Amino acid sequence: MKCLAKTVLAALFVCCLAAGASAGEKLRIAFLFQDLETEFWVAGHQAITETLRGQGIEVIEFNSNQDANRQLEQLRSAINQRVDGIMVIPHDGNVAVTMGKLANRANIPYGVFNRPPSSKDIQAVVVVADNRTIAAAAVEYMCEEALKLGRKFTPAIVVGDLADPNAVERRNGFYDAVNNPKYKDLWIDKPIEIMSKWDANVLTQNFQSAMQANPDIDFLFTSSDFLIPNIKAVLAPLGKWEKVGHPKHVIFGGLDGDKTACGQIEEGYLDSTGVQDVFAEAEMLMNALVAAIQKGDTKPNEWLYDPGFALTHGNFGDRCQDMWGCKLMFEERGK
Amino acid sequence: MNKLKLFLLNNAAFIIFIVIFVIFGLLSPRFLAYKSLEIIIVNATFIGVIAVGMTFVLLTGGIDLSVGSTMYFSAAVLGYLVNDLGISIWLGMLVCLLVGLLIGALNALMITRIGMVPFIATLISMILARGAGMFITRSVPMDYPESLTTLDAINVFGVIPMPILLFALVVLAASVFLRDTQTGRQLYAIGNDPEGGRRAGLDTRRLTAMTYMICGTCSALGGIVSIAQLGRVNASFGVGNEFDAIAAAVLGGASLFGGIGTVFPGTLLGAVMIQMIQSGLVFTRIDLYLQPIIMAAIIFLAVLVDSIRSSFIKKLQRRNITRQGDAAAGDENADG
Repeated sequence: MKCLAKTVLAALFVCCLAAGASAGEKLRIAFLFQDLETEFWVAGHQAITETLRGQGIEVIEFNSNQDANRQLEQLRSAINQRVDGIMVIPHDGNVAVTMGKLANRANIPYGVFNRPPSSKDIQAVVVVADNRTIAAAAVEYMCEEALKLGRKFTPAIVVGDLADPNAVERRNGFYDAVNNPKYKDLWIDKPIEIMSKWDANVLTQNFQSAMQANPDIDFLFTSSDFLIPNIKAVLAPLGKWEKVGHPKHVIFGGLDGDKTACGQIEEGYLDSTGVQDVFAEAEMLMNALVAAIQKGDTKPNEWLYDPGFALTHGNFGDRCQDMWGCKLMFEERGK
Repeated sequence: MNKLKLFLLNNAAFIIFIVIFVIFGLLSPRFLAYKSLEIIIVNATFIGVIAVGMTFVLLTGGIDLSVGSTMYFSAAVLGYLVNDLGISIWLGMLVCLLVGLLIGALNALMITRIGMVPFIATLISMILARGAGMFITRSVPMDYPESLTTLDAINVFGVIPMPILLFALVVLAASVFLRDTQTGRQLYAIGNDPEGGRRAGLDTRRLTAMTYMICGTCSALGGIVSIAQLGRVNASFGVGNEFDAIAAAVLGGASLFGGIGTVFPGTLLGAVMIQMIQSGLVFTRIDLYLQPIIMAAIIFLAVLVDSIRSSFIKKLQRRNITRQGDAAAGDENADG
């Protein structure tokens, strides 16, 4: 009886090993993301996981829920599991570097999605939107619209988290456009900066104060579209949430290109938004990382840029199909 | 002279509040407008409500790190009930408060029955509640019906914004409870000397448990106030609010070691002061990179003044007692 039990156990062990070996043939990629807080991250997460799985790749997901330390622990866990590649939406640029060093040391190909590492000391495939150019394009359209109205404006910008390179670049892009000599006579005063820290609550509080302190704000750029509902909640009671062409319309622009922005441009409340092509970015990263894994390159090093574009009230009819948020919105409407 | 000193020192928090208000007012005159004050108080309400609950916990020498996650979890439950199950908003809010109460009860259970340290127990429930909230929302932002979000815009009697009235009621109830009821005074007693309280026959476990349940309920209520203002909850809802609530209570004079603190005026002033500084920095258009530094410096200064005030008051009171004692002895001698 004992002998039979031993034989069965041994057979089971061999089966497990065989199963493990066959599982090992499949590529395994760890995908670490910070959260799914905004439509952009949800769409990015969906694009990456669905496409990878569609290619027969096993995706091991880790959600750090906005905790940088947890993300670091999750990376260590992924390395211990000897995955074939690591894709990360990092908590911030510094964490991206720390994680990159660990992945490089473990000889595992490392890819960063949308949030650039704060230094280029690591070897990684980095896909990032050219935030500065995209923001400048969206704000330039707003400036052109302001010029047409032939009066002066009080500009304001909602800034993200200053620890996030994307937020800093978007702010720089805003200033690139606003400080263009072509528009120098447009402004009553220098731009009013409103801190959001990427937090809806902080934004609402600070924007209410900013509107009370400067009730004449009539030119507004938000560094992320996900804050549009909160901006609307502050502007509407003040009678400033009006469509393009209305005398009380605040010239309003954003960045991301999400569903909300698409709907607001279509309805005429939002003048422009800088669009990051989340689907193209996801594809660029996946292709580069999978190619590196298949070539046996454990330290691929490449920066890929999404040039983006500005979807505006003017070009909405022609280009809305190119914006990921509009695609999602039209898909939902079709259902 | 001593009386004047004592008066000034006893009202130091209020004086600091006025000084900060006037400085920001001088730098930006619109800051002194009634509407600005209204915005500041309305924005302080949700942290204020949570800070009231936190004050109860701090009075017993405890701490509750789970308040932000409780806000999120209870908000997620509310959203699920109202959006997905079509339950009425009022019933949803009631269940939301019950969820807060339950998280508080869980904290109480871990601390008073299992004997866990409050820091660890509430850290566990912080992670648990955030996880449970994520499980419900799948991290996707949740929108709430207009019937809830319009509550924020209601002005009671045409002048008092609903959040301010709610905050005032919470402060009033908590203040009366702590100052005028036997149970309230017992909380100070066990906070000052838990062992002494136990020897005196106080049910310290029951009292401590009660504070965590109050804190959990206040967190859920704070969450409702915030939802009414924002109309949308995303995955970061409530993150870091535990520190704002603790800061508000401590700025209002509550001690992290227990036994000291008031809801009125203490926590009320603390919560409004934090929001006032934040607002003032926006009004005066201070460089964004400088704002956190100035905020920290002002809070540090306020706490420092409060700490100096406490030691001065003790000294002055000691001197007064000695003088009164000397005078009484002198009288006795004279009688003799």
